[in-house]
Amino acid sequence: MPTISIFQKDFESLLGQSASIDQIENWLMLVKGELKDHTPATGEIRVELQDSNRPDTWCVEGIARQIRIKLQGSPVAYPFLETKSRPKRTITVGKGMEDVRPFFAACCATGYQVTEEGLAQLIQVQEKLADIYGHKRQTVSIGLYRLPKIQFPVTYGLVKPEEARFTPLGMTEKLTLKDILTVHPKGIEYSSILADHPTLPLLWDKEGQILSFPPIINSREIGEVQIGDSELMVEVTGTDLRMVLLTLNIFAANLADRGAEIEPIEIVYPYATDWGKTIRTPCEISEVQKVPVHAIESALGLPMGVETIHQALSAYGYQVKASRHTLAVRLPSYRSDLMHPIDVAEDVAISRGYASFEPIMPSQFTVGSLSALELTSDYVRDHMVGMGFQEMFSNILMSHEDLVERMNLTPADHPVVEVDNVMSLNYSCLRSWILPSLLRIETASPRAFYPHRLFEIGEVAIQNLSLELGSKTVIKLASLVAHPHANFSEIHTSLDVLMYYLVQDYTLEPTSHKSFLDGRVGKIMVEGKSIGLIGELHPEVLEAWQISMPISVFELEVDALVREER
Amino acid sequence: MSAKDQHDSLHPLEVHLLAALCSQSTALSDVKLAELTPLDPSQISMALGWLQAKAFIRIDSETITHFVGLTEVGRGYLAIGSPAEWILLSCSAATQDGNSLTVKDLQAKELFQPTELSRAIGLLKKEGAIQMVAGGAIETTSTPSPTTEKLKGLLGQLETATEDLSVFSPDDQTLLKQFSVKRGNAQEPFRIEERVERAYMLTTEGQDVAKLCRPGATEEISQLTPDMLKDGTWRNKPFRKYSINLRPPRVAPGRRHPYREFLDLVKRRLVSMGFQEMRGPLVETEFWDMDALYMPQFHPARAIHDVYFVKNPTSADKIAEPFLSRVAEAHEHGGSTGSTGWGYQYDRERARRLVLRSQGTAVSARTLAANPLVPGKYFSIARCFRYDQVDATHATDFFQVEGIILGEDINFRTLLGLLTLFAKEMAQAKESKFLPAYFPFTEPSVELHVRHPRLGWMELGGAGLFRPEVTHPLGVTVPVIAWGLGLDRMAMMALGLHDIRDLFSVDLEKVRTMRGRFS
Repeated sequence: MPTISIFQKDFESLLGQSASIDQIENWLMLVKGELKDHTPATGEIRVELQDSNRPDTWCVEGIARQIRIKLQGSPVAYPFLETKSRPKRTITVGKGMEDVRPFFAACCATGYQVTEEGLAQLIQVQEKLADIYGHKRQTVSIGLYRLPKIQFPVTYGLVKPEEARFTPLGMTEKLTLKDILTVHPKGIEYSSILADHPTLPLLWDKEGQILSFPPIINSREIGEVQIGDSELMVEVTGTDLRMVLLTLNIFAANLADRGAEIEPIEIVYPYATDWGKTIRTPCEISEVQKVPVHAIESALGLPMGVETIHQALSAYGYQVKASRHTLAVRLPSYRSDLMHPIDVAEDVAISRGYASFEPIMPSQFTVGSLSALELTSDYVRDHMVGMGFQEMFSNILMSHEDLVERMNLTPADHPVVEVDNVMSLNYSCLRSWILPSLLRIETASPRAFYPHRLFEIGEVAIQNLSLELGSKTVIKLASLVAHPHANFSEIHTSLDVLMYYLVQDYTLEPTSHKSFLDGRVGKIMVEGKSIGLIGELHPEVLEAWQISMPISVFELEVDALVREER
Repeated sequence: MSAKDQHDSLHPLEVHLLAALCSQSTALSDVKLAELTPLDPSQISMALGWLQAKAFIRIDSETITHFVGLTEVGRGYLAIGSPAEWILLSCSAATQDGNSLTVKDLQAKELFQPTELSRAIGLLKKEGAIQMVAGGAIETTSTPSPTTEKLKGLLGQLETATEDLSVFSPDDQTLLKQFSVKRGNAQEPFRIEERVERAYMLTTEGQDVAKLCRPGATEEISQLTPDMLKDGTWRNKPFRKYSINLRPPRVAPGRRHPYREFLDLVKRRLVSMGFQEMRGPLVETEFWDMDALYMPQFHPARAIHDVYFVKNPTSADKIAEPFLSRVAEAHEHGGSTGSTGWGYQYDRERARRLVLRSQGTAVSARTLAANPLVPGKYFSIARCFRYDQVDATHATDFFQVEGIILGEDINFRTLLGLLTLFAKEMAQAKESKFLPAYFPFTEPSVELHVRHPRLGWMELGGAGLFRPEVTHPLGVTVPVIAWGLGLDRMAMMALGLHDIRDLFSVDLEKVRTMRGRFS
């Protein structure tokens, strides 16, 4: 989740009091923030915010607000949500918009003169919200404008790509929408959002002046807010109305916190939405929810009483009405993350501070145990170590070449589970056997003194298209000896000792396998079933791995050795 | 130790060398020592090593001599001539028969490597012994090739023995060096080897000990044998004393992998706290890896750049009911969980998409759906995969230690109690603190920070109570703690590692020498 830059002075002025860096770090618990870095010379503080459902906390205004509420013990009242009078400005949504980018919200903010600091923060929150919360502008994007240049009413409608021309931010000449999508860096970056639409969204005013081409780029003329501006318009477009409204509410609260007066705008849709055909934005978006007191008390393990819970929630920004057993709660306008009463319980705990809850031990008796497979694996490991083998431990994403081609095999001989979205060919397959992991070590370690006696026991994925998941995960053991006289007999002895102590009868059945020398390879048979291979590696394999030492090996499925009758 | 004591613990081989060195006033080479003692070269080299380690002798001077001899390639040239010589003979023979040979014709005989032939042709052209005519044919001229002649002479001269390079004329030396084996080019007729001859002298301490040496004077027992014990002959002779403070020879023992050993300890501790092991598949469906954990399908961490998708097959056949329907309802509108849900159209096709398990919590989800015990405690040490560039702090696959606790008495405070226990048992931390955290599948969520005895404050793990949207659709109605621990940093510190890739090192020497005790 996002990491943002805030400045201590700016933070203190929003908070309304000075604060030491230790205090700030401590308060960041209230917003699930972590202090990453602090530069005392500039006052810059880097904060990482964890909660992907609380985009209101991804900015200095939101962080300061949550702390301010806690310090004052009651929610912030935003008068622009209360006034009943009809807004003096209107924006009309055009027909057909429901198929392209259906939702729109906007408001004006006057009386706050934009400072250098304020502008930087406005741009930062605009970017973080559109990029992360808005899925790279797909679901939400935001535009900021110089209000005095706009003649209302404004229209958010569709036009043909060649029909409209304006000078976009970052350019000096007028371009058509079609040109913007192919030439402008932002057009190229975000054109896929509008792919396949014959007509494109545009925002223009009464005079026909173009404000922007959402969600791509603003006009240079009207859509470039500058330091010193004191009358702004904020607009949000998107594909999810709740997210669009929440985003505008966050901007409105942020600007109001900086001293602006927020003037709502009436948005008139030609089609019905979940909030009606005419929406005054910003607006309250959360319903009042009833939460039983006991639900919170039992989740937190503490009978706190309704009064304590009421106080904790008020001091976290909730509007609360309490009766004896039930709380009627409503989230503030800049939040929309209440899905279940348990969410309220967490906010109570955060508001009161986790340190105020005394830990108690879970008291119920349970029996600890390892799986039969793990116990068998451990038993096998003990015996391999006892026979003088060094245990190895490898990454299990490998290259196809290591698993198949270097083993003198073809994809038809040896299917493996492959990754679709490959990042590096070195990590493109799940290993299907462990021997290639050990050979990687041999290739890398010719200077480690001999003999090499290695083993690894671990998970592999065996492709099997008849299974539900297309593969199964099993544990295999591979063991290897490498030295000038390494041969079949030596590794056979190790296998034989291991099987003796596993109390497991087995036979070897001659077979042929392209990784091994003919006549020196066998299947390890247990109860009529092949559970693995033993043999001397073919010189072709050794050459492919650039190994100049004879190697003999065995590899078997540990799953087949598990005794379930414990 | 006195010179007498030091003398008594000498090996017989050492006695021979010291006596020989003492008998001459000059420094002696190993060749000279071989003449003066009855020892063979390997014994001399071994004893010289021991005596140097004891500082009884030192190297007085080093002389480097270069010897030149024939390689297998060179012996081949003796039999059929060098490439240049052979080309001249072949081409003039062809001309006499009224034919001509091209480079291709020469290569077709396969007597020499193409690179050997092309170099010889270049040489002959340069010296004017051949010329290329129309059609690529090679024609000999009347001009001789001095280099070819000289090479022939040198090959003959070295047929029987290697020679000191310095006996050759400077011109010949240049030629020998030019045609000798070098790194990256083994197809050469000569090989020049460096031999270092060292001359050894006694040190002052060595002189004192050497004066006492009388080779063969007293017969000492070096190794007690069964025969001596049987016939009692051990009683008649003294036992040679050993230098017991010399380093012993190194062996590679059978041994567990140190990181695995650490995970074994974690495993034992969890079992001792009453946790039962659970296991799950490496290849998972998006359903069990994410949907069942109430991560919405539009969650930012579910994009193509966060998870590895499987290529063959791309999807599972089906997702077991009633879990699929219940989870779909929870996502869409909360179903019977008491939640509003995420409020989007859940894509049941996408749920079947196969991924490499991205989080150990997937194993917990499967356990919840399989009638777990109540009260019950489960853990897994699960291999997980992340779509990350590999570097010192990111691995493509790694282990997550995580688990769940089910019980009627589970709540936020028992969660904190469990974490306090983990801080003590897993990190030996006396101090710990809890911070609010965010995970899509838990509420409330906690981060556990501990003050580690050596690492200072560090994040040890994350935990929380599973959201009802997770537990109810999987058929669990009691509260459930979900926890995960990040232990790799502690393992790395104990093993002295700074790079996460070293936990799975392919360097055998590194693994053999890696050590550390986990408290």
